[in-house]
This record gives sequence, C-alpha cells and structure tokens, in this order.
Amino acid sequence: MYRQAKYDEPLIFELGKKGRRAHLPPRCDFSREDINIPENMKRITPPDLPELHEGEVMRHYVHLSQMNYCVDTNTYPLGSCTMKYNPKVNESIVRSEKIMYLHPNQPVETVQGILEILYELQTSLGELAGLPHTTLQPPAGASGEYTGLALIKAYHVDNGETQRDEIIAPDSSHGTNPASTVLNGQKLIEIKSNEDGRVDMDALKAAVSDKTAGLMLTNPNTLGIFEKDIIEMSNTVRDAGGLLYYDGANFNAIVGKIRPGDMGYDVLHFNLHKTFATPHGGGGPGTGAVCCNDILEPYLPVPTINHDKDKDYYYFDYDRPKSIGKVHGYHGNVAVALRAYAYIAALGEIGLKNTSDQAVLTANYVMRKMEKIDGLRLSHTSSIPRKHESVLEATPFLRNHDVSGMDIAKMLISRGLHAPTVYFPLIAHEALMMEPTENENKDRLDQYVQILEEEMDKARKDPDYAHNAPKWTSIGRVDDGYAIRNLTLSWKMMKEKQEE
Amino acid sequence: MGDNYAHPYLANSKKDIDEMLEYLGISSIEELYSDIPDEIRFKGQLKLPHYQSEFELMEAVKKKLGKNITTREVRSFLGGGVLDIYMPAIQDEILRRTEFYSAYTPYQAEASQGTLQSMFEYQSLICELVGMDVANCSLYDWATGVGEAALMASRITKRTKFVYTAAIAPNREDVLKNYVTGANLELEIVPYDETTGKMDIAKTKALLDDTVAGIYIENPNFFGIIEDELDEIIADAHAKGIRVVVGADMNSLALLKPPGEYGADIAIGEGQSIGGGPLNFGGPLLGILAMKYNKKESRQMPGRIVGKTITSNEGEVAYANTLQTREQHIKRERATSNICTNEALVALSCAIHLTLLGPQGYKETAETMYLSAHHVTKELDKIGVKRVFDSEFFNTFILDLKIPKGKKQEFTQFMLERKIFPGIPYSFDGENYDYIVTTSYLLCEKDLDDFVKAIGEWRK
Repeated sequence: MYRQAKYDEPLIFELGKKGRRAHLPPRCDFSREDINIPENMKRITPPDLPELHEGEVMRHYVHLSQMNYCVDTNTYPLGSCTMKYNPKVNESIVRSEKIMYLHPNQPVETVQGILEILYELQTSLGELAGLPHTTLQPPAGASGEYTGLALIKAYHVDNGETQRDEIIAPDSSHGTNPASTVLNGQKLIEIKSNEDGRVDMDALKAAVSDKTAGLMLTNPNTLGIFEKDIIEMSNTVRDAGGLLYYDGANFNAIVGKIRPGDMGYDVLHFNLHKTFATPHGGGGPGTGAVCCNDILEPYLPVPTINHDKDKDYYYFDYDRPKSIGKVHGYHGNVAVALRAYAYIAALGEIGLKNTSDQAVLTANYVMRKMEKIDGLRLSHTSSIPRKHESVLEATPFLRNHDVSGMDIAKMLISRGLHAPTVYFPLIAHEALMMEPTENENKDRLDQYVQILEEEMDKARKDPDYAHNAPKWTSIGRVDDGYAIRNLTLSWKMMKEKQEE
Repeated sequence: MGDNYAHPYLANSKKDIDEMLEYLGISSIEELYSDIPDEIRFKGQLKLPHYQSEFELMEAVKKKLGKNITTREVRSFLGGGVLDIYMPAIQDEILRRTEFYSAYTPYQAEASQGTLQSMFEYQSLICELVGMDVANCSLYDWATGVGEAALMASRITKRTKFVYTAAIAPNREDVLKNYVTGANLELEIVPYDETTGKMDIAKTKALLDDTVAGIYIENPNFFGIIEDELDEIIADAHAKGIRVVVGADMNSLALLKPPGEYGADIAIGEGQSIGGGPLNFGGPLLGILAMKYNKKESRQMPGRIVGKTITSNEGEVAYANTLQTREQHIKRERATSNICTNEALVALSCAIHLTLLGPQGYKETAETMYLSAHHVTKELDKIGVKRVFDSEFFNTFILDLKIPKGKKQEFTQFMLERKIFPGIPYSFDGENYDYIVTTSYLLCEKDLDDFVKAIGEWRK
C-alpha cells in the first residue's frame, strides 16, 4: 500500500514572523555607519525574505521532500531520462573540501588534483566514444548538442562551405535536437521514420544535398530501436559532404558495445547525469560532455584541459584561434563531472558493459510483459528487440475504455510507482515510454506490471476511476489549464492578486 | 557471468538474469544486440580507471584531490561572479535528502509537489531580490544568462542588434558572443568612462536607435563600480523601444536598489554567490533570469517556470510547470530555448540559503563584504596603492598594480607564499596586469591587513 505524505504546507513566506533568525553569518567589527551608497542607488525597501528559526526551516523542507517521488522511492522508469540509482559514495566524494572550495580563477598550480581527474574523465569518455578529444564545458545535454553542432558549423565555414547549414534529424528525435539546431543558426530538415520506427533511407537520400551540414542521429533512437542501417546512413551523408553527429542521450544501451567514432561519427555528446548516474536534482544540474575526432578538435570550446606528460603538469589551453568560444562561464559542471568519474571508476570496463546488458535486458523483459496486457500495444514493430527503452501505445485502451495514456500514468503514481514518460515520442500515439534501467531487478519489474494490470482492470470496470486518479499522492489531479488562465508565478504576483 | 558479476550498482543476480532470459525465450543477453551489424560491434578492450572497492575508490580520489590548494587554506580575494560562501550545516542536510536530489523534472505534478513548491518559492525569492514579477527555474549560469537575455530581447522586439557594456566580465562576453551567432545578432560595445569606470552616457546614447533590441548593463560592473548614472541611458533606451537587461551581483542587492526599481526589463545574475552552492571550481552554477510580468513578453522567457494552480476535483492549492508551450519538448524548433536539464537543485540550494539568511542575514553579509573591501582600499591608500577607478563600489575594486606580463607568475608565487589568492588579473593594455579584488564575508580583519601588507612588500 502506498500513501504519499500530504501537508497543507504554506509557502515559506507565510511561515515567517518578524525578528526570527535561522542563521547568524560571520560578522566583522567595522562600523556600519561607514557604508556610503550613492543616494539614488540605495535600496529603500528590503526584499520580503522569510523570517524563521532554524528548526522551522528544516520542517518546511522535510515536509516538501516527503511530497516528492524520487528514484529511491520506487521504480522510476521515466523513458528518455535514464533514472538510475545515484551511488551515495559519489555524494560523499563531492563533499570534499578539496573540491568544494576551489575558485575557477585560482592559479593552475593549485588545482592540479581536480585537473588530473577531469583529464582522466576526458580520456575515459573519449575511449567509450571512440573519439579522442573531449570537452567537459557544456553544462547539460542540450548545451552539448549546441556545442557539437557549433563544431560542425565552424568546420564547414572554415572550409569555405558556408552554404552547408542544414542539419538532418529524424522525427523521433528529442525536442532539444531541433531546438539546438535553431539556436546554432542551422536549418532543421526533419525526416520521417518508417513503419519499423527507423530512419527511412529513401527519405534520408532525398534530404542530403550540398547544403547538408550533418546528420544528427540518436541511436538507439527514442523508440529504443537500434538504427541498424547506420553504416549506409553514414555513407549517404558523408558522400554528400556532411558530417555525423551522434546524440549519446541513449548511450546507456551501448556502453562498450559499439563506439560511434569507430563507425565514422565525427562528434558525440554524453549526458553524464544519465549514463553515468549523477543525480538529476529535480531538473538539474547535468553535464553534456562532447567528444570529437581530429578534424573537429580545433574548434572545441576554450579552454581545453591538457596534460604535459614530461612535466606531469595539467594546464588550460586558451590559445585556440579556431575555437567556437565558450559555452559556459567556466569549466562546466565540475562537481557533476567528478561524480561521473567516480561512477566510471567504480564499475570499470566490465562493470560498465554489464550495466548496458542489464539496462537492455530489463527494458525488453518489462516490454514483453506489458505488451501482453489487453489495451496496450508496442509502437511500431514488435518483431525486433529494443535496447534500453521501449514505447507502448495505449491507443486500444483509449478507444475501448475512454482511458488515456495519461490516465494510466496517474493510476500508476497513485500506487507508488513512477509513470513512464507519456506522450513522447510524438511519432507514437498515447505513448508510454518505459526505461527501467539496470537499477530494477526482476521482482520489481514483475511487481510493476502486476500493479499496472490491476489498475487497468479497475479502469475497465470504471473509467471514472482512471479519470480521477491519482488518489494516494499528496494532491489529486492538477488543473494545468487553471495555471495558465490565472497566471501566478511568484509570491509577489500572489500578493498583488490578493489585494485586488 | 559467475559470482564476479555482482556489483552494488546492478540490480540483478545471475539467477534473475536467467529467469528473464527464459521468459524472453533467448539464451543470452547478446541476442538482444543481434540487430547490430557485427562489423560495427566493438571487440577491443577499453582503458578505463577501475577501483574494486568503495574504499579504494574513496582513497584514490582523496589522494588526487589532495593536490589542490583550497580557498580555505589561503585568503581568497577572488570573485568575478562566483564567490566563496559559507553554507550552513542545515543547508546540506536538506540538500542531501534523496527525495530532492534523485528526482527529475516534475513531469508528474501530483507526486512532485516538493520540487514544484520549492521551485515556486525559489522564483519568488529571486523576484524579491531583483524587484521583478517572474523568474524562471534557472539557467546554467550568469554567462549563459546574458546570451539568453540577448536572444529574448531580440525575439520580443524583432530587432537584431544588441548593445552591451565594455565593463563586462570577459567570460560572460565570450559566452554572449557565442550564443548570438546562430541568430546572427550584431553586437556593439558601449565604452566606459576611463576615469570613472562607468558607462559613458553620451557614447551609449549615440549607439541606441530603433534597430537595437536590447542593452546589457552590469551593476556593479565587472570592475566593481556602482553604475549610478543610468537614468538617462535607460529612459533613452525605453523611448526607442529597447529592452534593458541588467546583470546584477545578487549580494549587492541587499544595499543597492534592485534592477526592477530603476527600469530594467530583464534582470540576470549568478545564484552561486547567494547560496547556490560551494565554488566547486566553477560549476554547477545558477543562472538567474527574471522580468517584469507582461502577458506577451513573458512568454518569450527561456526555461521552466512553475505556476500556482489548483487540483481539478478538490480545488486544493497545487503547483505545476506552466507556460510549457515555450519549451523544446513541445515546440521543438520553435521553442524559446533549447534548455531542458537546468540547475534545479542549485536553485533549491539558493532558496534554502536565502531563507536561512532572512532579510537580516542577507543584509549583514552584504555589509561585511562592503566594509571589508573598503577597509582594504583605505589601508592600501595609506601606502600609496590606488584603485584604477575612483568611483563608488560594493565589494570589488580593481587595484592599480601594473604588473608586467613577465612578472605575473612571480607575483602569483609571492602571494601564494603568503597564503593569498590576490584577485583576478586583468590587463587594459595587453602588457601589464591590474588585479580585480573581491572580498567575501569570510575574511577577518587580520586577513585583510595581511593582504595589504603583502601588497606593500611586493611594491618594495
């Protein structure tokens, strides 16, 4: 039985009362009267910050935390997000004073330890990608995409082919692919997937031209299907003069199994928070490391982290005239990178390969069990295995019982299980995208499917049960439309509305 | 696949695996990879670090990190946008709650009210600091915030020129330049006055016309100077339909008028220095972006936004992601930004910190920063060391040292021997270096006096 905690928790602003203190910062003995701010720039009204004592702050956040579902609550098979367990040792490692208290501008001789680790991580990621050069600067997957695409753009411009401004991506791609393409000033050529859920080769052949900058391919794709024609695709794009971008969002399926660089791919980004288990933090931070080959190396963001082997000295190289510039104020999300390093080093080569094995096995196992449930069907073809995730469609269930994919998701969370990703990818209908990861054992998966069956059974008998789910979460079904019709985006806007 | 197969991060034993294989009617996991052409399968060996036990891993990382020298082992005068701060013990206690850190984007609002309410509170706290109505859930950092703000101003005005202050941090300028290449924005730089270090009013106004989408001002600027003559520039910008973007040091806003009160349309800044987290060698950081609410223009904001709403059946208070039709997962190539994963946990950290400080603590830390910096300049003045610009400042100033390029390393060593990180070197002429000095609230009077003494010794 599952009951999520429920508190009528006021906003932190509503909990305060004048004069309470939660923290006393260090003070100096200088006279406050010596503060001399130009009159027209003085702050008159202090910000309306809450005033609580320490214990009350703790209670507030404990209450909020208990109204939150997380990976350590139960199965969290959110497709496309790779919600794997976040090893606790990594949380201890990043609490070392020797990483927390390093300023990005301090002398390079005082940061040799962290540079050594970042350099080792760069090398390890390059090894996994089959691409020798790495930047850790992009702070998220989308930023990695942008960086990789910018490298491709810089390459073509440098070679006098400024007309090459088209990026080809399949319609199954993540929304960040087209958005990053546009941010980079390139045009998106979206090609249709075929009935097997793979890139339609004829469509690809028709799309390439002397305007092709490159192909952006997520493989396995968002249906969890491996693009088996990858060599033919690569040749098609390369023959047309385009470069090859491997979106590593789904790398958890292929660690140590294939290396994009070996297949002729020029550039790849990793989502370290997905493949290498760093906490998702309720939305971030992540890290979007980018690996590339020799032809794109000159364009990598500044600075790169290099190693002088003779002196055993790590340093930043800013002298990179062809660089695309900077994509982050400093060196990216270093504390996230450190966790990823620790994860890789805890598993090693064999462990990482086993990780992919189990991620793919659990995905296929749960998919085949779910496929048998009346009302669900596998999107696209059922005849080929999936990799780390699969997409089921609730179309028959909606048709026969008026119960949607979203309703199914809400019934699941009511039972203390996180829902799959719903309504993505857009090329599937009533999509339920399942990615269990290697963190789910067989018993948990059996339990998940059993509860899903129980809930769907209840919905068959009483569709309104489904429409009114969830029941046992902190709150019932949220009215998203109300939020837009009555936009209230801050305490300030709330106060103004109350006054009206 | 014997006993060696088991690992703490892998859920299934050999028995589990065999049972699943049996259900699937296959004999090995390898069969699930059978659709991958053999010629592209990787058959080599990977060179990767590996430590057999958690203990060995901890020791190895500790040994490597031990080579670093931290800001707590010396006296740090480094700022530039990020700052060494003290995080109260309770703050990390909350941040280590797995309910927060091991969750993802709250796509299922009913089971994620913790994240959603805390993000609504974060947005609200930021609005209080900068004097705005709406903030998003975070961008990557201040630097990418400048880029996003420029693109946003361009979308709102449908203009393609962006003007920015020359008194901008070089790293933020670099990211801005990169971010706007795709949209082909034309960038123009507003010079600063060489004696005051403030934006040159006449030259700025000369650059503003109805082709300009936005103007970016830093306040205090990168040299630490308080820009207190902005009225004319901002009025002129608004008269020409230009959006005003102000990048503010978030600590300074305890003492300085918030951007929303002197005409900024969009406020940005760095959240690390107001509790987003420890320095962590520059990341993760927290990009702040807030604006005045405007039905049309607020829909041009990048990133995630949490709104207050109700539940459908019971009418209870609830929080949910809103205005999502701006975002990439729905709008794809027509999204306002490509950002998906953001810095939510850092935003939570920042919200906790501001709550712990309260109005009193927020003001006290800012006062200490201000007074520490002014103590240093007063003492340096006594030994004849001047600032490059003599205008009013908050906690940052640029010290007129003119250290030749060839002696820079020697200066670094000299200071290191005295356990000092003296500031960020900055060259106006490409040959000689002045130092941008910032004081946190963590240094006591003796530390400050030691710094003054060390500068004095170097000058001899």
